[in-house]
Order: sequence, then C-alpha cells, then structure tokens
Amino acid sequence: MSTPTPSAGVIHDIGYRHYSGERRGRRYIRRSLYADSLRGAYGLGRSARNKITPAILFAVMCLPAAVMVAITAATNGSELVGEYTSYVLNLQMVVLIYVAAQAPALVSRDLRFGVMSLYFSRPLERVDYVVAKYLAMASAVFVLTMAPLTIMFVGALIVGLPISDQVPDYLRAAGGAGLLSLILGGIALVIAGITPRRGLAVAAIIAVLLVLSGVQAVLQGIAQAEGYDGAVYFSLLSPFTLVQGIQSSLLGGSSPLPEPPGVTGALAFLGVAVLLIAVSFAALQWRYRRVAAK
Amino acid sequence: MNAVVAQLTARSLLGRRRVLLLLLLPAVLLLLCGAVRLLAGQDTSVTVGLLGGFALATIVPLLGLIAGAGSIGPEIDDGAIVYLMSKPLSRHSIVRSKLVVAVAVVTLVAAVPTLIAGLLLSGTAEGLAVGYGIGAAVAGVAYCALFILLAILTRNAVVVGLIYVLIWESLVGNFVPGAQVLSIQQWALAITEKVIGSSAPTLGVTSAVSLGAGIVLLTVLVVGCTWFAGSRLRRLRLTGSE
Amino acid sequence: MTTMILDKVSRWFGNVVAVNDVTMSVGPGVTGLLGPNGAGKSTVINMMAGFLAPSAGAVTFDGEPVWRNEEIYRRIGLVPEREAMYDTVTGWQFVLANAKLHRLSDPAAAARKALETVEMTESQDRDIADFSKGMKQRIKIATALVHDPQVLLLDEPFNGMDPRQRIQLMGLLHTMGDEGRTILFSSHILEEVEQIAGNIQVMVAGRHAASGDFRDIRRLMTERPHQYWIRSDNDRALASAIIGDQSASAVELVMDNGTGSGYSATGARDTRAALHVEATDVSRFVRALPQLAARHGIRLYEVSPADESLESVFSYLVTR
Repeated sequence: MSTPTPSAGVIHDIGYRHYSGERRGRRYIRRSLYADSLRGAYGLGRSARNKITPAILFAVMCLPAAVMVAITAATNGSELVGEYTSYVLNLQMVVLIYVAAQAPALVSRDLRFGVMSLYFSRPLERVDYVVAKYLAMASAVFVLTMAPLTIMFVGALIVGLPISDQVPDYLRAAGGAGLLSLILGGIALVIAGITPRRGLAVAAIIAVLLVLSGVQAVLQGIAQAEGYDGAVYFSLLSPFTLVQGIQSSLLGGSSPLPEPPGVTGALAFLGVAVLLIAVSFAALQWRYRRVAAK
Repeated sequence: MNAVVAQLTARSLLGRRRVLLLLLLPAVLLLLCGAVRLLAGQDTSVTVGLLGGFALATIVPLLGLIAGAGSIGPEIDDGAIVYLMSKPLSRHSIVRSKLVVAVAVVTLVAAVPTLIAGLLLSGTAEGLAVGYGIGAAVAGVAYCALFILLAILTRNAVVVGLIYVLIWESLVGNFVPGAQVLSIQQWALAITEKVIGSSAPTLGVTSAVSLGAGIVLLTVLVVGCTWFAGSRLRRLRLTGSE
Repeated sequence: MTTMILDKVSRWFGNVVAVNDVTMSVGPGVTGLLGPNGAGKSTVINMMAGFLAPSAGAVTFDGEPVWRNEEIYRRIGLVPEREAMYDTVTGWQFVLANAKLHRLSDPAAAARKALETVEMTESQDRDIADFSKGMKQRIKIATALVHDPQVLLLDEPFNGMDPRQRIQLMGLLHTMGDEGRTILFSSHILEEVEQIAGNIQVMVAGRHAASGDFRDIRRLMTERPHQYWIRSDNDRALASAIIGDQSASAVELVMDNGTGSGYSATGARDTRAALHVEATDVSRFVRALPQLAARHGIRLYEVSPADESLESVFSYLVTR
C-alpha cells in the first residue's frame, strides 16, 4: 500500500464531550415542566413584558384584602371586615382575566412555534405533558386565589383577632379555591389549546367564561324571582357559583348564593365539578394526542 | 378608506375560528333572551337588566375587542402587515379601512342582535330595543377605534382591553362612581337614555354622564384614537415575534 | 439615479447597538450585503425600506429621506424575511391585491407578469396557506416586482430555496441588475453572494467591515496567513521541523503553564499549551505537516485551524 495521502478533511476537536452523568426519568421531566410552566404563569423566567399582566392582576386581587385588614385594624373591629368564603366570588373578574391571559401563555407558545415534537422526542409521554401543564395552571390560579385569603388570615392574626375564628373559614375558602383552580384551569387550557394565536385564545376563554357567568346570573335571577324551586341548580352553569355551592353545602361556609339542598344537591354539585375536571383532562389528552401524532 | 385593505382585513378577520367566536356570542345572547322571555314573560326591568348588564356591558365590548384587535393585531404579530406598509398608502388610510371593517362586523354581530334581543324581550315597548340597539352600535364603534389603537401600541392588546372593560368599566366603576365618567359604556348609555326618552329614569336607564358630554367624549375618543393609531402605525417597528 | 445612501447611520435598541456608524452607497447593479447572523443586515435593510428610523445619521434615496415617506414605495420593492402573509387568499389574489395597493393602472396585467416572472402561474389559484416555503418565497418576490420598482431590497431571499429556485432567482436578479436597477440582497453565505453580486458590503457585529468588488475582498482573505494549533508529543522538535519547511512564516511554542488547556471567553485558544503556526501557503502546509511528523517520529494529537469561522475572517478584515 502506498503511503496514505493526507486527506483534505479533518475532524476537529472542538471540545465536545459526551454526557456521562445521571439521566433522570419521566418524573423529573414532568416536575421540571410543571415548575417551569408555573413560573411562566407569573412571568418569572421570561422577559419583563410577560411579568406585567400577572403582576397587575395579582396586585388588584390582593388589594381589597389588604384594605380590609387595614380597615379592621383602624376600626379595632372584633371581626374581620370581609368574608373569606365570598372573596373570590366577588373578585371573579380578576381571576377570569388572569386565567384567560395566562392559559395561552402556557400552551399557545408551544403550539405556535411547533415545538411539540421536540417535547415528545424526550422520554415525556403525552399524559406527562398534560398533567404538568394542567397542574401548573391550577397551581397558578390557586396561588392567585390563596394570596389574598392568606393576607386576610395573617392580617387578622396580626391585628389580634382570635385564631379560632379565622381558621375554619380560611380552610373552607382554601378548599373552594383549590377546586376552583382545577376547574378553571382545565376549561381555560382546553380552550387555549384550540388555537395557536394567543390573542384569539385569550378572547375565546374570557368569552366562554363570561358568557357562562352572565347566563348563570340572569337565569338564576329570573328563576328566583319567579319562585322556581330548582333555581339553585342554575349555579351549576358557572364555575364560580358551582364552587361556591360546594363550599357552602359540603364545607359549611356561608354564601350570598342559594345553597344546594341536602345531600342530593351537594352531591350533584360535587359530581358536576368532578365531571368538569375529568372532561377537561380528557379533552386535553385528546387534543395533544392529535398534535403529537402529526 | 381603501377597498383592498378592507378586503384583506375582512378575509383575515373572518377566519374560521374567529368567526365561530363572533357568532357564538350573539347566539348565546339571543338564546338567553328567548329563554328569559319564556320564563319571565315581558318585563321591562328584566329587559333593562339584560340589555344593559349583559348585552351592553359584556357582549358588545367583547365583540368590539375581538373585531377591533383582530382586525390588525394578528398581522402585526406575525409581520404580514409589511405588505400594507410597503405601499404608497397613507397609514391613516390603512387604519380607517380596518376600522370600517371592524365596525361593520361589530354592528352586525353586536348591535343588530342587541336590537333583536330587545324586541324578543319586550317587543317595541318603551323603545327599549331601539334605544339599546343604537347604544350598542355607538359603543361598538368606540370600542373598535380604541382597540385598534391598543393593538398597534402593544402585543398584549387583548388583555389590556379586558382589564379596561372588565375591571375599569365594571368593577371599579361600581365602587368608584367617578370612574364611570371615563367609561364607553356610560357614554353609550347616555345616548340610549336619550333615545328612550322621558321614561328612561323610571326604567332604570340612567347614565353617569349627560348626553352632551357623552356625545363629545365618544367623538373625541373615536377621532383621537383613529388619528393616533395612524400616526403610531407610521412608526411601527416590524421586529421579530415575541 | 437610483442610489440608496446611508450616511453615518447608527441604530440602537436600548443598550444594544445593532448598526454602528455605517456609511455606504448602494447604486445600480446587484449588491450583496454579507455578514454573519446578528451582524445587523436586517436592520440595515429595514432602515433602507423606511420601516425603521436611524438613531443617528440619515438614510436617503436619491436625496429623499426614506423614513415616513410613503410615496417612496412606488420606486422601492421589498422582499421581507418573515414568512407570514395573508394566508386566506390565493396566490393570484394576493399579488393582485398588492398591485392594486400600488395604484397601478392595469393591476391584473402587472400581477400576471409578476407571477410569470417567478413561475408561479400554475399554482396561483391555490390558497397561500397551502404553499410550500419556496412557493411562498416566490410569491413574496412577485409582490415586490409587481410595480416594476427601481430598487429591490431582499432580506435573506435564498433562505429555504431549493437549488433550482436559487438558480432561477439569481438569474432574475442578474437580469434586473443589468437593466440598471438597484438590487440589494442580504445573505450570510459567501458562495451565494459570490455568484451574482458584483459589489458586496460586508457587515460584522453592526460595523461596516468591507465594501467593494467581491474579487478584491476574496483575494485579501486568501492572502492572509492561516493559523493553526497543533498538539503533538514533541512540540519543540515539530516546531523546528515546520520552520524549516517553507509553508509557514511563524511558529510559536506556548508552554504548558500548569493549568492545562482552556478556552478564553472570546473563543480564542490563547491559553492552550500548543504549537501556534502561521501558515502562508495553506495547501502546502496541510500536505507537509503529516510528512514532517512522520519523518521525525512525532505523534500528532491534534491539528485544528484557529480562525476558520466567517466571524473571524470578517474580524480580521475589521481589524486590518
């Protein structure tokens, strides 16, 4: 054999090293996706522009709570000025806007830029993605709703009100907040997953939720005025009133709305809530099964 | 006003999913009013509550937002607006054309259904249907102008618009009466009040602003927003997405 | 006169300077705007197209400022980089709409001619949403040609084109350049620019690095010495062998300072313990090196070029 001619092609060592460390599995990926999505829901880890909306909404949500504590302190009241169990109901607009604005922030980006196939080329199953995003959205809403309640709770303690008065209502409201987060988060994500256009997704979510809220208020109002017995069941139409009903019947809180009658009523409400969560989850699974298969 | 711009705008505004949403809202309004009519019969206070509280306060602004922001937002977002900008076409003309399309759409899916809803609920009693129909039409124009400007100013136009409509006009307006002076709803309501005539106060149709103030503010808003939108469009930065 | 002039133009976005004191004049013929990604090419083209105001300096076309001057679009055509178009119309409808927006007297004829030029007449009745990337690119070009502009600005036009389309577009630009139009296109690929641009403007990191005839610049680049890092089991012996050969002009032995090899923040490997060679005759050096090593029984561990990136080539031009 003749001496090999020096070839013109050379493979350069530019320092590429194989990764030989630990490779974590699905649980870790799911947890990371959850954490990243939750942070993204508040604009953390993203550019400043993404922080403005959640910050404003968070502030607006907590402001009345802070004011209530201040008033209680100023008037030396023996009881907290506001109610834990109806706080979220009264401020439902803020929660609605938050969920409408941030649900697309969680899922529209992935759809729009076509990175879903990148996600699924990792050891991440469709169900992991759905679970992570769903829980992240629910957690984000939970944080939003629990913050003012916690401000009231802590404020009440600081002002010197007895803790035994605060705890039951606080826990009831917390339970309601948790359930609401799951329901709202699910509905919002399902709608957001329909279109990669963020603006349209926001409008669609708010439209659906507002319409439900409006229809519920009108129909229930009329039904009550007409003395219709089943008027309370109109509360099933809107997530806020649905949760309020569960909160007042099962958890025993007070409520400005009519209470679902007896055990059947309570179970009906709870059943609808669970159904909504399950259907949302299934819808998300179905939605992403299609995307992943593309 | 440029017909070609209007055509392109109409084609992209009335895309499949947006059209669904634009038709869904008035459909719900009409169904709801039909149901209420069946449940409660003809009742002017119910009509006022529905038309004022649901149609004018929720449906009309939402549709104005979807149509207004949707007539220019997506194009700015993905950069397709460069095809309009690289023409010997005045930016004001572009804005005007889009406004015309948005207003046409909103009138069709918000004002007319409000009128029909009013007729469904109370027939021609007290001129409620016509009054609210005109109020909705006027509010629709104002919302479109405002939201087109917002869409040029920020990528988050829809959220900002929602904060304005839901938090400022409704929530804050309920607690701080002064805020209602700066509310498109109230200005439109002033016109509705006038159209209904003398029986308006007894029906509960009262606006926080006088008719004169309402008309002036509406005009100033529409003209101002349209002009400002045009001049802002001249300086629009066509950078990458997000 | 169809000359686009940038006079001491700078553009910054907050703290980031995208274009730094650029003065250039783009006249009739085909000019290539060459530079690595992030060099500021798109910013320059946007400024020329009147979509961005310079933070300093002035951009003029035949003496008229381009910024906020809508009438100038009668004479300028722009092919934008981004893909998005009005998806809901067909190719024909879109080009026709563009023709009408230009207020042409016979928009249909102009649209037809433009579509023929880009060879999109068979697919013109399909929705744009169904087009492939190359087809969309051709529609973009058709919209820019429909009003027969004197100046054509193309932002990365060859992106996503297959070889046949690329050849076709090059031919088109060449023809138009010969007709006396001013054509400016941007690219980061040397070979694309080489084939049609008589004149190139090179940009690196926002600075105007070089301009003029492409052949002159190419020659400058091949005349510069090439640098190599070599690690072997006997650097000193290899160094003396290399210096004895005529292909290298300088050899430097960098001793190991005990900290081992490392990469500096700028990517230069000046902390490595290695042989640094400046080779003036690259082809000879590359052939001679293994022979020298073999003859002296030296084992080569690593041979790598120190400055092969486009960036460093242009940086070299900049520092000259």
